[in-house]
Amino acid sequence: MSAVAVQKVFDEYRVLSDEVLKPGEPRVEKFLRAMRKSLQQKENWTFWLPYTLSLDTCMKCGTCAEVCPVYQATGRKEIYHPVYRTDMLRKIYKRYFTLPGKLFPWLVGAEDLTEEKLNALAENVYRCTICRRCSYVCPVAIDNGVIVREARKIFDAIGIAPDELKKKGTRLQLQAGNATGMPAVAFLDMVEFLEDEIEETRGYRIKIPVDKEGAEFLLMHNAGDYLAFAETVMGAAEVMHAAGVDWTLNSPNTGINDAVNYGVFYSDVEFSAVIKAHVETARKLGIKKLVVGECGHAFEALKYLILRLIPPEERPFEVISILELEDRWIREGRIKVDPQKNPEPVTFHDSCKLGRLGGMFEEPRRILKACCPDFREMTPNREMSLCCGGGSGFAIMEKGGFLKFRMETYGRLKAGQLKATGAKVVACACSNCKAQFREIINYHKLPMRYAGVSELLANALVR
Amino acid sequence: MDFGHYLIAGVMPYVAVAFFVFGLGYRIVYWSKAPMHLHWELFPYPHTMLEQLKEMITEVLTLHSLYRFNRKHWLPSLMMHWGFYLLVGWLVVLLLGFSFAAYVGTTGGVLVLAGSFSLFLLRLLDAEVRKISAPVEYINLIFVFTLASSGLFSGFLGDIQLVRSYFLSLLTFKPDASIAADYLIPLLLFELFLIYIPFTRMAHFAAKFFTYHKIKWGELH
Repeated sequence: MSAVAVQKVFDEYRVLSDEVLKPGEPRVEKFLRAMRKSLQQKENWTFWLPYTLSLDTCMKCGTCAEVCPVYQATGRKEIYHPVYRTDMLRKIYKRYFTLPGKLFPWLVGAEDLTEEKLNALAENVYRCTICRRCSYVCPVAIDNGVIVREARKIFDAIGIAPDELKKKGTRLQLQAGNATGMPAVAFLDMVEFLEDEIEETRGYRIKIPVDKEGAEFLLMHNAGDYLAFAETVMGAAEVMHAAGVDWTLNSPNTGINDAVNYGVFYSDVEFSAVIKAHVETARKLGIKKLVVGECGHAFEALKYLILRLIPPEERPFEVISILELEDRWIREGRIKVDPQKNPEPVTFHDSCKLGRLGGMFEEPRRILKACCPDFREMTPNREMSLCCGGGSGFAIMEKGGFLKFRMETYGRLKAGQLKATGAKVVACACSNCKAQFREIINYHKLPMRYAGVSELLANALVR
Repeated sequence: MDFGHYLIAGVMPYVAVAFFVFGLGYRIVYWSKAPMHLHWELFPYPHTMLEQLKEMITEVLTLHSLYRFNRKHWLPSLMMHWGFYLLVGWLVVLLLGFSFAAYVGTTGGVLVLAGSFSLFLLRLLDAEVRKISAPVEYINLIFVFTLASSGLFSGFLGDIQLVRSYFLSLLTFKPDASIAADYLIPLLLFELFLIYIPFTRMAHFAAKFFTYHKIKWGELH
């Protein structure tokens, strides 16, 4: 380990290492070239309209700041104001790509880009989880989130992206089948281990099908769940088994066996490569429905972002969240639950990607109310839910002191919310949220645990 | 009648309206022709035309986003916006020949004046908003304030008979520039305002259609 202190470029944190950011090298010209491309309809059709409208139309009223978790949690620190962040890009946009900014920079707040400003911007776009709470309340529906994401895209185009998301994220996933780098042999061992675990805790053995062709349901989890949140994987398997449906998991032997798509966080090129690999895998297996496990951004990607990227005839399967299935099966009486098996008070965290971005508000609530007698709402919730701070890749980013940032901003607000419920369990249906809750509970010493929705449901199953 | 007078009262009105219509039209067409972006909705959102209309009208008339989340901006913004709505209404009732047009115009002018003034003060005195403001933000508000003052204090908004005849002369393409002699300053400011709007964020009333209907409320229905 090198003991040399990392150069400060924005605040006291550094998510981008010197090797990635290369703070001493000239990158401004490259950045401006990539930004010019991002502003062209043809080059950037995927987000051109929300992006340019958001650059052009902000009225500077500051409504976004009133709901931004980072700004609020840091005691309204100027550098964490959502508009301060987006203005860092907007000033460049005005200076180099608009006439008034070229002619009268001072008047319209246009500024030259320097290497120092570039460094600061690269870091600051990783201080926002793109939870889009601000966009929800903006009177003009300006989206700070899309600007942050576009800035991340520009940086990625010039080779600046966190290793966690690219080298050890999308690149690894495309090569190994999953972003954890778990080979097929290890995966199959893991599944067997989970079967043993279920037998040990429940007293009965179930068979977890893997790589079954033509199954009705292909359940794809966030592969990190097998290592970190195995209870969710086991819970889902028990539910599938109890429902008596024709289902399967898949191993890296069949292609991609990881629902994640970190491209959602920083790059359309990566996003598109991963989702095409997802589709290819599902087609090869000939399954009818692709079930997204408890993973927020994977749901957003496979349910919504995919729609205009890949024509319907090229994806001959339905995409559905495990929550929708579980909710449906409980209501149909296909699976039976005994809520008394989960006697502790339970609260639910709306993951941004499932809730505000996915519309999945009622399904998890109906499931939890059916299998937990003491269900308590957190306030605020649903579309005004506070991001836990694990979003947009943060959950797997720790170095450069970043864990502290996650805990002291989003984490602190969330801890306060959790405490106020008096619940003993916080349920959620997103891996990134779980990874963040694991740390929040530890860091803020909360007398509670986190659990997957499927885990609580499996615990309440009546055989 | 000198050349400047004729220009302001006889020619510029057409130029300004043309700029406004074509400038704004160009931007709207440009936005409408944008390639269809990936789905980027925020839930929950209104699904039917009726629900969307209801939500949009509520937002336009009450600015309830500001009311709920940024209360200190709400009243000043509401005053300024209602002032503009009334001034648009003034133009209509004036042309239709209603005598109460004078009240509508004056109330509108007063609201725009009070709204823009308080928004200006708010932007100047509130450190958080000041820090995210560029000079152009203040200039826009001063522009609106000056426009409203000149409309009010010159008597333009209240002089309904004369203003009506003048507007009718414009509408029939027989501009009677001579009768507008006393109102050259408010006229000029208004014309410049019309020219200015399409190229600035003040066109947000049009941009908003896209940010709401095409993006936030999406196209899933």
